[in-house]
Amino acid sequence: MGVTFPPEKRLFLGQILDEVLDGLYGYAMVLSRDRTEAEDLVQETCVRAVQAIESLRPDSNVKGWLFTILRNIWLNQLRQRRAAPKTVELDVDESTAEFAVETSKDPYALYVSKVEREQVREAIQQLSEEFREIIVLREYGELSYQEIASVLGCPAGTVMSRLGRARSKLRSLLSGSLRTSHRRAKGAAE
Amino acid sequence: MSRSDQRSIDILLYLDDALTGQKLEDFRAHLAGCSDCRERLEEELALSSLLRKARPLYLAPEALRARVAAVATEQASVFFPASDRSRKTRIRNWTRWSRDVIRAAFSWKALAAMTLVLILSLVFVPKAVKRVRAMDYVEAATKIHRNYLDGALPLQCRSHSPEVVTAWFAGKTPFHFQLPPPHPAPNGKAVYWLAGARLVSYKGSPAALVAYETPTEKISLLVASAKSAIVAGGDQVRSGDLTFHYRTGANSEVVTWTNHGLAYALVSPLSGSPQHSCLVCHQNMADKNLFKQ
Repeated sequence: MGVTFPPEKRLFLGQILDEVLDGLYGYAMVLSRDRTEAEDLVQETCVRAVQAIESLRPDSNVKGWLFTILRNIWLNQLRQRRAAPKTVELDVDESTAEFAVETSKDPYALYVSKVEREQVREAIQQLSEEFREIIVLREYGELSYQEIASVLGCPAGTVMSRLGRARSKLRSLLSGSLRTSHRRAKGAAE
Repeated sequence: MSRSDQRSIDILLYLDDALTGQKLEDFRAHLAGCSDCRERLEEELALSSLLRKARPLYLAPEALRARVAAVATEQASVFFPASDRSRKTRIRNWTRWSRDVIRAAFSWKALAAMTLVLILSLVFVPKAVKRVRAMDYVEAATKIHRNYLDGALPLQCRSHSPEVVTAWFAGKTPFHFQLPPPHPAPNGKAVYWLAGARLVSYKGSPAALVAYETPTEKISLLVASAKSAIVAGGDQVRSGDLTFHYRTGANSEVVTWTNHGLAYALVSPLSGSPQHSCLVCHQNMADKNLFKQ
């Protein structure tokens, strides 16, 4: 269920942003594939959300709204870039990308988790843009099918069939990881 | 929609507990007799598990989290007094205030309070947004300067001639940018000289990086469109029609200003003096003595 926006909570956009920030950043990363650009995208999204908050209807879905803002900013930037001369990227260093801190896990579990996350990231980055988007919105933005349909501007049925195809492609890209993960789960159960 | 697509959708809905009633019964009956779908369901479960374990896929950097919080907090502080720290207290106060306002609908007190809130929001929200955007430009200029010093952003045009650098930028930036022509130094000794330039990116648009040097120091000037780069805050000094904004960072000093639709950020090492930075432009001008230590 999406985050709705009753009037008495409208001042807590910051709280909602804090909750969905990793999801927004993840979405920005798969769109731009660049940390600096992703940070700019998220920050610009936040600035525009603050500016537009008063015009938002009380029953609006803030989470979907934030992802839509981010996507629109990205599409505008793409349009501008097509018309502009080529420029250099300032920060393409992916090696310093942060990982989630999971202090409750033992070092081996942490290592496995890190490796698996990296494999998932790589597999997602190999997908086409429309598949990347839909996987990240669903699995990491945790948006409902209806919310995704609203962000992408397409019917919910299209979202579901596209998601099915994206998952199918992702399964084949992650087949090695899935087998290892399955063996590990089986080993732990025995 | 193909049969395969429909089956995928049914499996996804089943995993999401979104199948109910007769549809759920039908799907269960189908699963019981279809080994392909059972296998597919197991694969989907395994994939979901792996994807969930990878959450969050990317963790937002702390600096970004802080910037986002700053933007949102500035907005909230427009409505709440700074002493009201507790969120619960804030909600309670806001709810109580709203209820009272509704009860006293259209009374002059309520109208006055609402007007005050509206005025405050109109005054402070844009200012808070502007401050954050201004810091963004300063941080970008500092980062670009650091990358330039580290060799990550080598100059694409090396020349001491402002005309050559100006010509090199022609058509490369979405704005017209022209360096002033050189004036001979009165004593023949230049304090700083132009080293060259390169294109960089700011907020997805091309921006100009102009580099100046001395035998020991490097100074960079970032030039971007004032539509995307906001200049505000810091220690402000007015000079003629221009207002300069000074900020001191860990290793550098940044001076920003706007002129004719362009935003400038001059980054120099802390080892130099602010006056020295100004001499980049003023060393050959009549007012140069104003900037000497």
